[in-house]
Amino acid sequence: MSPSRRDFLKTSLGVPALVSLGRAIPGRSALAGATRRDDRNTILVVVQLTGGNDGLNTVVPYADDAYASSRPTLALPANQLHKIDSQLGFHPRMEAFMRLFKEGRLSVVQGVAYPKCDRTHEKAMRNWQTARPGETTCQTGWLGRTSDVLLERDEGTLPAVFVGRIPRPFTLNAATAVVPSIRSMRQCVLATMPGVTSSPVDRGAWDKPAERPQAGSDNRLLDFVRRSTSEARTASKRLEAVIEAAPKSADYPAFLLAQTFRGVAQLIRAELGIRIYCTELGGGGIGGFDNHANQLGNHCAMLQQLSESVAAFVDDLARDKLLDRVLLITFSEFGRTVSENGRRGTGHGAAAPMFLAGGKLKGGLVGPHPSLTDLDNDALKFHTDFRQVYATVLDRWLGVDSRTVLGEEFKQLDILQS
Amino acid sequence: MFAETRSDSPVKPVDPEWAWAPYKPDSRRPWNLPRAGHLYRRAGFGANWDELQRALADGPRHTVDRMLHPEADIEEFNRGYDDYEAAAADSGSGDGLRAWWLRRMIHTPHPLLEKMTLFWHNHFAISNLRVGNAPLIERYLQLLRSHALGPLAPLWQAVWRDPAVLLGTEAAENRKALPNENFARALLEHFGPGPGNFGPGDVTDAARALTGCFVRRGRFRFLDREHDSGVKKILGQQGNWGGDDAVRIVLAQPATSKRLVEKLYRWLISETDEPGDTLLAPLAELLAGDHDFSKLVEKMLRSNLFFSDMAYRQRVKSPVEFAVGIVRAMEGNVPTVRLGQDLATLGQDLCCPPTIKGWPTSRDWINSAALVGRSNLALALLSGSKPYGDKLDPAALVKKHGCSGPARAGRFMLDLFLQGDLAAGAAEDLRKTAGTPGTAAGKSPRLRRFVHAVVTLPEFQLA
Repeated sequence: MSPSRRDFLKTSLGVPALVSLGRAIPGRSALAGATRRDDRNTILVVVQLTGGNDGLNTVVPYADDAYASSRPTLALPANQLHKIDSQLGFHPRMEAFMRLFKEGRLSVVQGVAYPKCDRTHEKAMRNWQTARPGETTCQTGWLGRTSDVLLERDEGTLPAVFVGRIPRPFTLNAATAVVPSIRSMRQCVLATMPGVTSSPVDRGAWDKPAERPQAGSDNRLLDFVRRSTSEARTASKRLEAVIEAAPKSADYPAFLLAQTFRGVAQLIRAELGIRIYCTELGGGGIGGFDNHANQLGNHCAMLQQLSESVAAFVDDLARDKLLDRVLLITFSEFGRTVSENGRRGTGHGAAAPMFLAGGKLKGGLVGPHPSLTDLDNDALKFHTDFRQVYATVLDRWLGVDSRTVLGEEFKQLDILQS
Repeated sequence: MFAETRSDSPVKPVDPEWAWAPYKPDSRRPWNLPRAGHLYRRAGFGANWDELQRALADGPRHTVDRMLHPEADIEEFNRGYDDYEAAAADSGSGDGLRAWWLRRMIHTPHPLLEKMTLFWHNHFAISNLRVGNAPLIERYLQLLRSHALGPLAPLWQAVWRDPAVLLGTEAAENRKALPNENFARALLEHFGPGPGNFGPGDVTDAARALTGCFVRRGRFRFLDREHDSGVKKILGQQGNWGGDDAVRIVLAQPATSKRLVEKLYRWLISETDEPGDTLLAPLAELLAGDHDFSKLVEKMLRSNLFFSDMAYRQRVKSPVEFAVGIVRAMEGNVPTVRLGQDLATLGQDLCCPPTIKGWPTSRDWINSAALVGRSNLALALLSGSKPYGDKLDPAALVKKHGCSGPARAGRFMLDLFLQGDLAAGAAEDLRKTAGTPGTAAGKSPRLRRFVHAVVTLPEFQLA
């Protein structure tokens, strides 16, 4: 956060704006190794790319002859790519990703999927969301279970939110944590009664009794709600101040995803204690990444939106020195077939890259690009299980035991700075 | 007020005999407005003014009598709503079904029945997100309602044949050659005795007992040729069991009775303490006897413990209780399609509980976003404008009950929503900071603001 903005918040609220809402964590054991950072402050942003992103045209193996020969109309010309090395390049519209990559703020985990990976949208998406592939009765999403763990650790907090306009993805379905869908930032700010001239005193109506020291109160539940009420008011005011402080013209492009990220950045700045943000690109149905025909133009637009929106978000957070606390990851339900289908599109595939952005990444490519000739029914084979990424994020970023959430242990990836 | 009796509260451990004996008002524990309000919150969705006044006049015994057996023609009321719900569901609208249920909660002359229907929906927590068939969910809710206050056996024997339940537990196909364990596991782990009280063999054999069960085109089908007629051993009992037997055996388990009693205790009495076995033993015995749930409900609602500090404001209102409570107290009506959506945003999407364990409880409902959300919902309900319209009119309400004028209107609202029971001085603060209520004609924004301030008090979040 810039000094001026921090000062603004301080003066406008009369309290240090950075005081966290989270209460002290009672005696948590030092599970961690030396790599554990202050994992109460870290934030995870998960971006769902709905429809099955064509990883092959996102991180392009331009030097591989099999690439051009498999894709007579869809192959991207090498001279338009943003070259990562002598083999790979980002899609022409992903200039912003290329910059982040060079800055060490973007990592690409290649060849990610899972055993017996499903090729129908609904089941494949459910597998990524639950992180329990094939368990059709699984009741919760992996971020939902993580939220349950975080809530149990620190009651009264808000572990996770969905920010977006589609119904909340199953990823966030939790057993005990209430994970709200946020469509507009105004939803998180206390509204006042229309027709009544508002003044600071009016707002006080809400919190005055809440803040009163309750001598002799022996209802601990009531005390808890009083504290929470008071915190909610503070949180609302802080968010309001952040929204008012942020210039409307902040450097976000007009894309819906970018505007969503702007909101996420506001929520992060308001220090609401939210640890997990989930958002989405591609729409609620089958999804904008599902290009069975005439893929080229659609895919360009999606990738440009993704690349420029993520970059704007990263730059915004970096300006306020918040980027070191934030890790963003993307996922899609599957990659696409290597060969195109005769309608200038592609079919449902398997392995694809995941993108990670943030201030504490090691950066670079993680794992080799999968072979374009050793295929599984025309789809790339995976070498990294997506749950390895999840496990790394859980254990080493959020400080939540991955075995609790994933049900088994997965080999971690060396993607984070220690 | 309850505070007066605090020093007389029994010290733990509570004597079960005292706890479950019927509450009889005396000078130390008088029948008063807070106790009447408490009863209406737990046995329903909160009282309106006339209900509070009548309860005060009638005393606890008659009031509970009326909650169990209302004077109104319940069957006629429910038949009407059954038709509305069925019509909404048949048109494929889960939103419509949800809206009619909320409207039923708002207008029902038998709130306890809806409260217990919600209890069973939260117990057999089937979600339309899995079932994807509003008419089946509508029939499932009717099933729960028709048995909500009665013997357990008919309810449980109907549940395992219910298409929505089978689809919702991913058990719509149970073949002899490949027994589907999903319903059996749900039965043992979530509906019945619970973890630690059954083994993997019980799941396998209960699943075998249920082979032959299918849902075909939205209907339950039993295919005899797909039923495994061999011997099964379920929870120690061996025989050539079928679905009825499996469910009967599970229901007869003491662990099942105990679990249901505990769940009802948290639903009607308190979410904040862990009742010991000694305290619950008499109730578990009562339930084990004839498995009549209404007797259990009645026992709890009449008890000393229910009317003690150990129960008073020891539950957090769910979003549905919060909103329906406001609308009932205001004696108005609101568009419930919109209300259903807003309650879903607050985490309680009727007909779509998050998991088979039902909705969150107690403190899990409360965080800063939830409280801001409740405040904004209450504001929308009370503002007299879009999207909820102007059917909740506080000025008309105070006039109707003869409490016009700022001071009387303010006291009326505090009595209506909190039975006057808020922290010493808080009422005064409220009047100072929220301003005098003001009951001028027109849209009466000041009175509306005052009511909003009342329903966003911490006390109002508790049931």
